[in-house]
Amino acid sequence: MTGSPRRVAITGLGLVTPLGNDVPTTWHALLAGRSGVAPITHFDASGFPVRIAAEVKKLDPRHVIEDRKLLELADPSHVLGLIAAEEALRDAGIRPESSDATRWACVVGSGKVGLGYRELAEVHRHCAPDGDFHPDRLLTDGFAMDHRAFWRSQTCAGLALLLHRFGIRGYATSVHTACASGSQAIGTAMKLIRRGTADYVLAGGFDSMVNPIGLSSFCLLGALSTDNETPERASRPFDATRNGFVLGEGAGLLVLEGWEAARRRGARIYAELAGDGNSLSSYRITDSHPSGDGPIQAMRQALAAAGVRPEEVDYLNAHGTSTLMNDRSECAAVRAVFGSHAGRIGVSSTKSLMGHLIAGAGAVEAAVCALAIHHGVLPVNANLAAPDPECDLDFVRGQARMRRVRVAISNSFGFGGSNSCLALRNPDQVER
Amino acid sequence: MSPRVVVAGTGAICAAGKSPEEIWDAVWTGRPAIRPIQRWDTAGWPTALAGEIAGSDPRALVEDRKVHRLVQRSDLLGLYAAGRALDDSGFVAYREALEPPAAAAVNDRTGIYVGMGGGSYQTEYEFFPLLTTANGDLGTFGRELAATVNPMWLLRSMPNNVLCHIGIRFGLKGPNTCLTNHSVSGSLAVAEAGAALRAGEADRALAVGHDAPIEPQMVLYYHQLGLLSADGLWPFDTRRSGSLLGEGAAALFLETESAAADRHVRVYGEFVGSGCTTEAEGLLAIRADGDGPAGAIAFALDDAGMRPAEVGMIVAHGSGTRESDASEAAAIRRVFGPSIPPVTAFKWAFGHPLAASGILDSVLALVALDHGVVPGVPTLRELDPDLGDLPLSAQPQLPRSNVALVLNRGFGGSSTALVYRAAASEAS
Repeated sequence: MTGSPRRVAITGLGLVTPLGNDVPTTWHALLAGRSGVAPITHFDASGFPVRIAAEVKKLDPRHVIEDRKLLELADPSHVLGLIAAEEALRDAGIRPESSDATRWACVVGSGKVGLGYRELAEVHRHCAPDGDFHPDRLLTDGFAMDHRAFWRSQTCAGLALLLHRFGIRGYATSVHTACASGSQAIGTAMKLIRRGTADYVLAGGFDSMVNPIGLSSFCLLGALSTDNETPERASRPFDATRNGFVLGEGAGLLVLEGWEAARRRGARIYAELAGDGNSLSSYRITDSHPSGDGPIQAMRQALAAAGVRPEEVDYLNAHGTSTLMNDRSECAAVRAVFGSHAGRIGVSSTKSLMGHLIAGAGAVEAAVCALAIHHGVLPVNANLAAPDPECDLDFVRGQARMRRVRVAISNSFGFGGSNSCLALRNPDQVER
Repeated sequence: MSPRVVVAGTGAICAAGKSPEEIWDAVWTGRPAIRPIQRWDTAGWPTALAGEIAGSDPRALVEDRKVHRLVQRSDLLGLYAAGRALDDSGFVAYREALEPPAAAAVNDRTGIYVGMGGGSYQTEYEFFPLLTTANGDLGTFGRELAATVNPMWLLRSMPNNVLCHIGIRFGLKGPNTCLTNHSVSGSLAVAEAGAALRAGEADRALAVGHDAPIEPQMVLYYHQLGLLSADGLWPFDTRRSGSLLGEGAAALFLETESAAADRHVRVYGEFVGSGCTTEAEGLLAIRADGDGPAGAIAFALDDAGMRPAEVGMIVAHGSGTRESDASEAAAIRRVFGPSIPPVTAFKWAFGHPLAASGILDSVLALVALDHGVVPGVPTLRELDPDLGDLPLSAQPQLPRSNVALVLNRGFGGSSTALVYRAAASEAS
């Protein structure tokens, strides 16, 4: 390690979530304990075993983004990212200028995109009506040749749209480690500032799998709650009766910058992004080890990287997907890392209200941690009527809890085994 | 001081061979592996050439048959190259000799960084039988789903499959990510792995890049965007008319100098710096002045603590499109002025394997440094005079130092530059 690393400040937040299309609306819904889960309206889901999701509601992107051509190249998840980024930069009060554009970086967790259902159905109609694919028919399929469909299907497309719109010209990448994507992107962004690669980073994640193919893919795995009749109760992390997660969509973007520069320009600092932990479970594709192995290393690394003692942590935004394996493994990991202090950390999974935003989840939840520090309030873990006895942490039950937060941590664990933990410190705790 | 980062294992596969040695041999002896596409009937297609890996079934590359039904073609290539790099490094044998607690500590301190290109349309076509059954009715689609589509479909199509399965197979549990930024993904995997080792986040890290874009719909899209040649891939040539798709994977096993010294291993060279920029002009547009790649080179040299004059050879991206090669040459001229080191490019040999290209070029650059030669570009008939006086030749050249610069570009105006130094310098 070289000397003391540069301190990183979070100075801008932008959110588009099932709870609201900006930060204030989302935060108020979180505090009020209002659920964003409802019957699916984006498409006819009547035949699917799961007919509920946490959709973004009443979003008209043209109110925010006047560039029609840009929107034509954007997949639904990219639109969410573009709008959240707009809010984050406005909130931070800075934008890339031609003089510093190469000192701006962009790291985003973007969803697993491909052809959308509509495009796939078009290719099918033309090239595979009998179910078998006939490549030669592509040659006369105008739709398959539409380059806009190609762009939307590219894993780097959301990133490229953000770079183009905001004029970011430094380091840029998108990452995908399933449900850990957004959190890993923010951790990577922090390190870019620490190692001097960038001075400012637009970082976060966006995803939208609430479409026939996305919903199918999780239905096939049997990972989703089938509580179609009680959508608002369907996502209940750590509850003894939980039966799967609820698919959501959304975006969270953060503006990160060097601490001293942020202080100099008088920026409002929500929190210090103080540490990042990043481990691989290498156990199974979709589960982490019952002992918490994997998440344990991620949390320990985050605390060590932040220079934080376990006793300083007041809030944990849990991964808390509302699946039995995840919830128990995560609780075991928290106990292993925090020992006797585990019971004194306020814990909530905001997936209980906004569902699982997949590649966007970790980014949105990091923003929630920044807001919890900023406002001194812990959002509720909704729908926790009867906690699983195996999950005996101090969950924020019933309603949001007033509490000054010295350090908040956010867990995100992905299919494929990537575990990411971010540690955020209250600006008042930063010694100057 | 940050620790030095060395390369202690390499693996690679592409149309030109199934090991770094085989691929180097094809490059050195001037045998391009670009041929008519075999995977489907391309009669009547506007472009029908690509760098396909011969043999129809890549599953033969991965021993563990349980994994076969859980991944896609590109993943199999990545798993193969990653496994070869780990084998080559002797890491597994080293770990086996340790006591279990020490081995567990080594696993926690060994990271994996993967760069992958994009999804496979072919995997999405697995929904075609269901679409036929549904006949346009989503209700039927939902009801017949479970009876028609493989329950593992999502797992098969996950972008981070190589990360997941290499982790499980080798028990590596350190820092990791999967970078999804088109053609610079593999280069970024090296850059992030190197940065993690320098920052003390890990002692060892595997960097992998993989891609398999040769699919009918993908080829047509690339053609429609004007990126593909109908006749051949001729980097920097006056007659160049576009790129051609390749496929493949490559991997580098990186260690801090002290971690490698603990194992007394042979090292291939040293990773000394990286740079990354974008041009922010949109998805496909690139600037004619080479601003992006020039910036990436400047950042990489700064990261390496080097002046341009210290660079001994350049492995150019050289994709063979008119605009990309011209702007890349402009970038090189801008950074190096009148004193440009010997330049080469490798895509003429195996096509453009997108996300794998920068890391595959890195593997070959390390071989070139080891041999102390800059391979020629045998397809070169006439260097495009519009590109200025680029020291590029059909014949081999001598590097002017033991440092190689590897350039890489991708969609969204992304550029990367990676800097490597030959192993020999470490003794001096």
